[in-house]
Amino acid sequence: MAQAAQSSSVQDSVVTCRDVTRRYTRGSASRFSRQTHPIVTALEEVSVDIRPGEFVGIAGPSGSGKSTLLHLLAGLDTPTEGEVTLAGTTTTGLSEQRRARLRLEHVGIVFQHFYLLPSISARGNVALPLVEYGVGKSTRREKATELLGRVGLEDRTTHKPGELSGGEQQRVAIARALVTDPEVLIADEPTGELDTETGERIIEVLRASTDDRAVIVASHDERVLEQTDRILRLHDGQLVSDG
Amino acid sequence: MGSRHRYAGLLGIAIGRLAGRFRRGEGKQLAVSVLGVAIAIMVMVTVGGVALGLASQSAIQGDDVDYWIVPEDRTASSIAVSVDGPQLGGTHEVTARLNEHPQVEYATPVLLRVVQLQAPASDTSEFVLVAGVIPDGGDREVLGVSTAALTPGDPYYTNGTYDGEWTGEVVASEPAAELLGLEVGDPLATPRQDANRSLHVENVSTGSYNTGAGPLPIVVVHQSELQAITGATDGDPADQILVSTTTPAVKPELEALYPQSSVITKSGFAEQSVSTSSLPVAVALTAVLTAVVVGTLFVATMMGLELHADRQRLAVLSAIGYRTRSQAFLVVAETFILTVCGTLVGIALGIGGIAATNALATRSLGVQSVAVFDPILVGAAGGVAVLIAAAASIYPVWLTRRTDVLEVLG
Repeated sequence: MAQAAQSSSVQDSVVTCRDVTRRYTRGSASRFSRQTHPIVTALEEVSVDIRPGEFVGIAGPSGSGKSTLLHLLAGLDTPTEGEVTLAGTTTTGLSEQRRARLRLEHVGIVFQHFYLLPSISARGNVALPLVEYGVGKSTRREKATELLGRVGLEDRTTHKPGELSGGEQQRVAIARALVTDPEVLIADEPTGELDTETGERIIEVLRASTDDRAVIVASHDERVLEQTDRILRLHDGQLVSDG
Repeated sequence: MGSRHRYAGLLGIAIGRLAGRFRRGEGKQLAVSVLGVAIAIMVMVTVGGVALGLASQSAIQGDDVDYWIVPEDRTASSIAVSVDGPQLGGTHEVTARLNEHPQVEYATPVLLRVVQLQAPASDTSEFVLVAGVIPDGGDREVLGVSTAALTPGDPYYTNGTYDGEWTGEVVASEPAAELLGLEVGDPLATPRQDANRSLHVENVSTGSYNTGAGPLPIVVVHQSELQAITGATDGDPADQILVSTTTPAVKPELEALYPQSSVITKSGFAEQSVSTSSLPVAVALTAVLTAVVVGTLFVATMMGLELHADRQRLAVLSAIGYRTRSQAFLVVAETFILTVCGTLVGIALGIGGIAATNALATRSLGVQSVAVFDPILVGAAGGVAVLIAAAASIYPVWLTRRTDVLEVLG
């Protein structure tokens, strides 16, 4: 019965981690060097299921494995051991080309430092994923304008990132992450660069984005984590609590 | 949704990024790339212009000549002003026959000799190139010198003997007149000159014949008189026969005149002169090679530095789902755009370079039109630009593939 419940949970999940371990070699390995480099375990045997509509927080001190877990959930990295399944596709063994396609179609990513392209307008930045999708110019403009309206920036569509405040830039980044209507929205310290009030607004925008999608936020900020439905706490690469 | 929209969008991103970099004053490396290509293309266009100038100046006759009959062993470059080599014989008789042909407008043998001429009026003695021709009284040019002032025909040559009326007429080109200090009516003499064979300047022609080294001092006389002056009366020789016709149908007849001769058309002459005259070809090839190497090194290095500084952008694009192929297209598009900008600037500078070369040559050497501009140089610059962009894209694309998203954004 319990097994059946777990199976059903996996089927419902949009992101699944099964006994995921991620190890890194510290320092760059050289083919001409016999020196052995220490291996660091960033994440150890972590299992998580995240369902659509969930607003999940990932908490933990620096070096606890938050970013590593986010990268694995986003398909930016692959586990050393275990299995990550994203929108029904296992990322292990996938080429970077296929993982890029997987990210484009199923994942939206929001970074702490926004990472907008400074040369193009807010609307152009939001439309970037649609370019890779091969969407025509007029549809791109229409969709990007709509998304900017949804995050309250309808009057900033033609502004360059340098002409926007930090909060506005982060909202543009969220609009960019949502423009392909992904099943998973991943945000790494989305309020890290913002003041408290602006940060709260960003969290509101993220919460409003859940609908049928999973929103996963990694943060140090307990006020951000309090807003989530579920918190995954990591310590030294291990999942110490889930609830 | 489709590739067309994707590539159009990527091109838009590339243009927007480059324009933005320049607008924000961050385009120093990009500007150096453009400048590098511009300098390379400028050098290529200027040197190519000199090469074209060298090649085009090999043409010896005026535009109204359609065929050259030359000895088979001669190359196009030696046709121009060579005074030594295989020659045609019995040229008066052959030319007379040709001039009677209904489809031949005009034919003349051309004998070329370097002769020392003395101008008693200016007390000057110089070696000049003397062309012996049979004029028809029309406004013809040989080596850029008009033959109109010479008595029609060749009066000194009658019925195969050299005992007709000696005219002594000389038409000097401007460079020759300048060199010898000649004016119309001035007497001229040659060393060991027979007293009955005096020469005088009948006219000074404004035309001139230029080589890469400058305008040649040339005088034109009757063919038999040049033969007599130089002692070349055996076999009635000439270096070539020029034939102006109204139809190409006469070519087979011209080819049958001498068993070991070549008949070259005007266009054939131009092609042959370019392909067989090694100097212009070598100069042009060197210019192209230099432009490709210099341009490629500039663009590849600068784009490499630019990309290294802008790895974050590629990492972000990769994170949001851009495939390596799309990122590579972006980089290649940017490289091509910069190269095209550099090429356009380079062509403009190259045209200026040609003008400057000619101005410098005129001032320091007294030579006109050392280099010429031809639209073919624009085509060549376009070809070189494509080569530069293609070669210079390899390194930035390799860098793109090596960009590690987690290392840059993590």
